[in-house]
Amino acid sequence: MEMTEPITWTCTGCALLCEDIQVYIKDNRVEKVEHACLKGKARVYGCKHTAMSTVDQEEVDVNNAIRQAAEILEEARNPLLYGWSNSTSEAQVAGIELAQTLGACIDSTSSFCQGITINEIINGSVPSCTLDEVREKADVVIYWGADPMSSHPRHLSRYSYFPRGELRQRGYEEDRTAICIDVTQSRTAKICKGMFFSIPPGGDAEFMQALMDGLAGRVPKLSYDFDVKRILELAAVLKKAEFGVIFAGLGLVYSIKEEFDLISEFMSTLNRFSNFFLIPMAGHFNMRGFNHNLHEETGFIHRVGFTKNGPVSGVEYSVVEQLKHGADAVMVVGSDPLASLPLSISRRLKDIPLILVDPCSNLTTRVADVTIPCGVSGIEVGGTAIRLDGKKMDISPLIQGDGLSDEMIVRRIMEEVS
Amino acid sequence: MALDVGKFIKAPEYDIKIITRRDVFQASVCEEDCFSDECLELSALIVLDAAEMKRMGIQDGANVRLTSIWGSVVVRAMASPREEQKGLGFMVNGPWVNALVSDETPGGIPAFKDIEVKISISKDGMTGIKELFLL
Repeated sequence: MEMTEPITWTCTGCALLCEDIQVYIKDNRVEKVEHACLKGKARVYGCKHTAMSTVDQEEVDVNNAIRQAAEILEEARNPLLYGWSNSTSEAQVAGIELAQTLGACIDSTSSFCQGITINEIINGSVPSCTLDEVREKADVVIYWGADPMSSHPRHLSRYSYFPRGELRQRGYEEDRTAICIDVTQSRTAKICKGMFFSIPPGGDAEFMQALMDGLAGRVPKLSYDFDVKRILELAAVLKKAEFGVIFAGLGLVYSIKEEFDLISEFMSTLNRFSNFFLIPMAGHFNMRGFNHNLHEETGFIHRVGFTKNGPVSGVEYSVVEQLKHGADAVMVVGSDPLASLPLSISRRLKDIPLILVDPCSNLTTRVADVTIPCGVSGIEVGGTAIRLDGKKMDISPLIQGDGLSDEMIVRRIMEEVS
Repeated sequence: MALDVGKFIKAPEYDIKIITRRDVFQASVCEEDCFSDECLELSALIVLDAAEMKRMGIQDGANVRLTSIWGSVVVRAMASPREEQKGLGFMVNGPWVNALVSDETPGGIPAFKDIEVKISISKDGMTGIKELFLL
């Protein structure tokens, strides 16, 4: 086989946005991929069933589908625009403009993911750093309720544990300590060996409080069975850290979501003795981008309603609350809520007009009133995205697609609505 | 014809809590084709502590019914290769576990990692994706 020159590509398989992927293209098709993880390869090779342009499940011309989508949104009294984490920042900005034009609600998957953590970072309540700084400087890394070996497979090898760094020339063997706090011995926990701390479900807040006691020289108290000596030993390791990082996973976020101020209190306590930062383990490639883009426009990171008095934010504008008793039409961009939300909530999508903009045929496609296929962001569509640590990245398309980008579709709908 | 008495006897039920998690193998397979058998095999799966399975009389690889007040699904049970906390089961994020999640969403976040269900041995086949969504 004749081998072409590889293209260096930024992967949109997850929010790590690995920029060292080598892709061989021949005749506008991906021939071979190097350096990518399983998730990255799945993203590059794409889905087996691509979406079709449909209205009422019948195939139509894409222009008709766009017109029908605009009609649904115009007729709705309380439309919701949802998804966005698999879109470029340019498409997200277009979506925010459309929501403003319609007086709609807009929310993203961050609403029930890392939004709450990203909000603390954007507002300056919690110190954060970049993955590049982690690679060069970090000597203590904590995976708390996070299992990057399963969610972000190259996290440890590219940044957080295995690589040599400017101040960590002896790498993981001598220069880095990896700690895992979780309810199960995950793949990541196995790497942390003697530094795995098994806690009961919902036990994170107490463990955090116990660690703060340990840091302050008090005897930690816990309502569940745990060897206090191990907490004191962990506190000692944290105190000695030169550059420590907590990778906050959903295990932590969900466990303490109703007392989230504890995170900033914990970081402040920790940083009286040490130098720690927190990075949220955002999943989809541009989930954090949505938060930054919406924040720039409205001052809020998600769950926004555009009212006559301007943008407002609150839990009542969240996707789950809107689906339960709010939205009377929904446009989903780059997400599959029927697969990713509780069925007790997502089943309402069958009862209200639903528009889906997505490259692939998925579960939501099967119940959508209008589907509009779009190019795959990062494969057929370029733009920018924000990595899970907040770094802005350029995304270049790999191949020429046939269809419209999600940004173009949103802008076409906006023209029809206007 | 002999009467199959066994089918009238209800399998014993046990209370467990399900915690969702990620799996790179499931994620990549389902990204390629969410309707595939491979996606079903890796998603309609609950991992339990081996000793707990023995206590509940569930064999490795057997089908089990998981029932919450929000829904019911039949998935395959698998013994964890390591000791797990008692009373816990682990499932990857996806439609099967989502069928069991409450619609109560304090703070706008569903209880994806705090799902109380009853588990029992099942003679039914694994719940298919079309059955799940009545597609």
